[in-house]
Amino acid sequence: MRGNKRAVITGMGVICATGGTAEEFLVSLKEGRRGIREVTLFDCSGYPSQVAAQIEGYSPLDFFNTKELRRLSRVDQLVLIAAHEAFADAGLRDTINNGERSGVCLGAGAGGMLSAEAYHRQLLEGKRPRPSLLLPFVPSYATDRLAERYRLQGPRTTITTACSSSATSIAYGAELIRGGGADVMACGGGEALSELTFGGFCSLQVMDPLPCRPFDARRTGLSLGEGAAVLILEEKERAVGRGASIYGELLGYALGGEAFHITAPEETGREEARIMREALNDAGITPREIDYINAHGTGTILNDQVETLAIKEVWGEDAYQTPVSSTKSMIGHCLGAAGGLEAVASLLAMRHHLIPPTAGFERGDEICDLDYVPQPRRGEVEIVLSNSFAFGGNCTTLIFGRGDL
Amino acid sequence: MGAVVITGMGVISPVGIGKDDFWKGLIEGRDGIKEITTFDTEPLRSKKGALVKGFTPKVFIPPLKIRRLDRASQFAIAAAQMALEDAGLSIGEDVAPERTGIILGSGFCGLVNSEAFHRGQVLRGPADLNPILFPNTVPNAAASNASIELGIKGPNSTVVQSFCTAEAAFVFACQQLIAHRADVMVTGGVDELSAILYRGWNELRLTACDTGEGDKSAPYDLTRNGFIPGEGAGLMILERERDALRRKARIYAQLLGFAQTGGAAQPAEGVARAISGALSGDGVKTIDFIDGAGNSSPRLDAVEAEGLRRAMPHDVRDIPVSSIKSMIGEGIASGGMRIAADLLIMEQGVIPPTINYEYPDPLCGLRVVRKGQKVPVRTIVHTGISLDGTYMAILLGSAHGVS
Repeated sequence: MRGNKRAVITGMGVICATGGTAEEFLVSLKEGRRGIREVTLFDCSGYPSQVAAQIEGYSPLDFFNTKELRRLSRVDQLVLIAAHEAFADAGLRDTINNGERSGVCLGAGAGGMLSAEAYHRQLLEGKRPRPSLLLPFVPSYATDRLAERYRLQGPRTTITTACSSSATSIAYGAELIRGGGADVMACGGGEALSELTFGGFCSLQVMDPLPCRPFDARRTGLSLGEGAAVLILEEKERAVGRGASIYGELLGYALGGEAFHITAPEETGREEARIMREALNDAGITPREIDYINAHGTGTILNDQVETLAIKEVWGEDAYQTPVSSTKSMIGHCLGAAGGLEAVASLLAMRHHLIPPTAGFERGDEICDLDYVPQPRRGEVEIVLSNSFAFGGNCTTLIFGRGDL
Repeated sequence: MGAVVITGMGVISPVGIGKDDFWKGLIEGRDGIKEITTFDTEPLRSKKGALVKGFTPKVFIPPLKIRRLDRASQFAIAAAQMALEDAGLSIGEDVAPERTGIILGSGFCGLVNSEAFHRGQVLRGPADLNPILFPNTVPNAAASNASIELGIKGPNSTVVQSFCTAEAAFVFACQQLIAHRADVMVTGGVDELSAILYRGWNELRLTACDTGEGDKSAPYDLTRNGFIPGEGAGLMILERERDALRRKARIYAQLLGFAQTGGAAQPAEGVARAISGALSGDGVKTIDFIDGAGNSSPRLDAVEAEGLRRAMPHDVRDIPVSSIKSMIGEGIASGGMRIAADLLIMEQGVIPPTINYEYPDPLCGLRVVRKGQKVPVRTIVHTGISLDGTYMAILLGSAHGVS
């Protein structure tokens, strides 16, 4: 990326099926623990799959009072929980006095769909649903709640490109900091499971009835997940000046469209390869310098094949020496939160010398024959590339480097 | 900041389709708001909406593709085509697909498909799901379908930010151009007004209701009591000034400044801060016109007025203000149609009226334009306001003679 200002990450917060904090999430990545189980949030009997990476044992009253809960859908709660941890981690809770230079940009998937569904179901059943169930429906609702809670008075935006939303939010926030439009940006995003999303992916016949097995020869589809990740992006000089602990820097990114099909990726991987190359050029590094690829790796037959082809196109023979893994094997596909959670996984990998596994991977196939990291592994990770590909052909690639580089 | 210019527009609006008919509608004070007949409004507090009428997708899209595309995607494709044509740009000839991007604000596009899909889930159960609907439930379907149809491969995104949705997209698109991540950006807003969305606005009691003369959109008027939900698309072509000059493009306007601020607790202060921020950069002395975000909701219009007074305490009563939402309603991404109107206002030197403005609200105290007014317009402040705490101001200047 050009320009003098640099955007670094100084705080992270996470909640997902395998951990309620970044620390717990790290432990689950080290263990390769999978959080994909039977869904209890709504009735899935009758669907071809009944599993997802649902957050279990979560009690909203541990975090919010009943009055607050009336106005917060599940996704808003998850985002606020992750934000709380991220601001504390960044050491910014009490120091956001200059809120005018601090903003928020979150990615969203289905937003407050779970609440809207309850409204809609009651309506169809001839009841009189509570209108306030609709309040959190607009996907910018969580963004506004986060901004208000932390008195962020700078820019606000919500990215709604389905599965690439929160990766794009990080790119947007970093570019804003680099352009001088803000000093601090809370980025990332949230997703809550919903019946519509669950049924929707079933209707496309891309759900694995078993926990998903990205890149494995036996894979038959994805597993959905839910969660939130909030990352505090900060202008580097400011972060260094206040002695903040720096996880890493966004070295480069690319956003693009495949202009191919609304759900299917371009099958040769040419378009995904182009986006990864653009991101590498933007960061000013060569493919060989990438220590770890955090793949989009959904577990669908097509995605994993195309992503692998794209990696081979960019890396050539080096592709076989580059570890590639999908953390979705553990936390499911968290759609609007996916890119954010994967960014956190990438930054944790760098700090803790860890290559997160593709849990459950046993053997690849003729095309998927790279090193997909079946077991968690220790290793020096200085630069990570993370992919997010979405419906509509929206592709986002982020490249993170260690903060001390 | 003068780096970004606007060189094309495409409009599909409740008052007219295509920039000529849109413009004619605006200066005539054509009311795009009508009684809704396409779905049942009987149990609801409001009866009227600003729907797009007479849109013929086959003018823009091959017939076989039409039925696979939802209305919002059809709007986006058509408006993007018009905008590129208006800019005299052909993707693949004048600009590479990879250097052309699209970032749209989409207000609840896809909701119509979500509703239909979920209705099937509830009424018919999981066994019989329609796989055609689900991919088009995502808000980015409109921008992405447009990118697929038109071969746009550069930066591609969709944003929503409450009632500042189109402005947020515009700012994102400018950012990408300024950072040289694309050479041409298609941006703006698209809205589709579905029965379920109309119901939702009504349930939240945000819409206008009949107090004797039928429900109406009356920004800044004492009798206003809510907004009229609307739909449509307003898309623009953005380029860096140097590129536009090099290819001798017609330049509608240059971006002189913008600012985005937040904070729901003190909305007028937020609006004022956004306006001051947008005005701070370029040494622009006079503002010829204020394109107001006023949407006929009691609080929003008053907040906007107070914000304007705070930001420009000496001049605000001398500057004409108009809100075309009096004619096109509110669609949360209607900022796209408003920016298109801004370009035409500068080009034509005419300010369209705020219709239904009869009883000035003393709390607003603005110089609201009741009848179309011929006056040279070189600078426009465009505001975007969401009472959820997002405020935008965009300062546009005509290509020639900014004072």
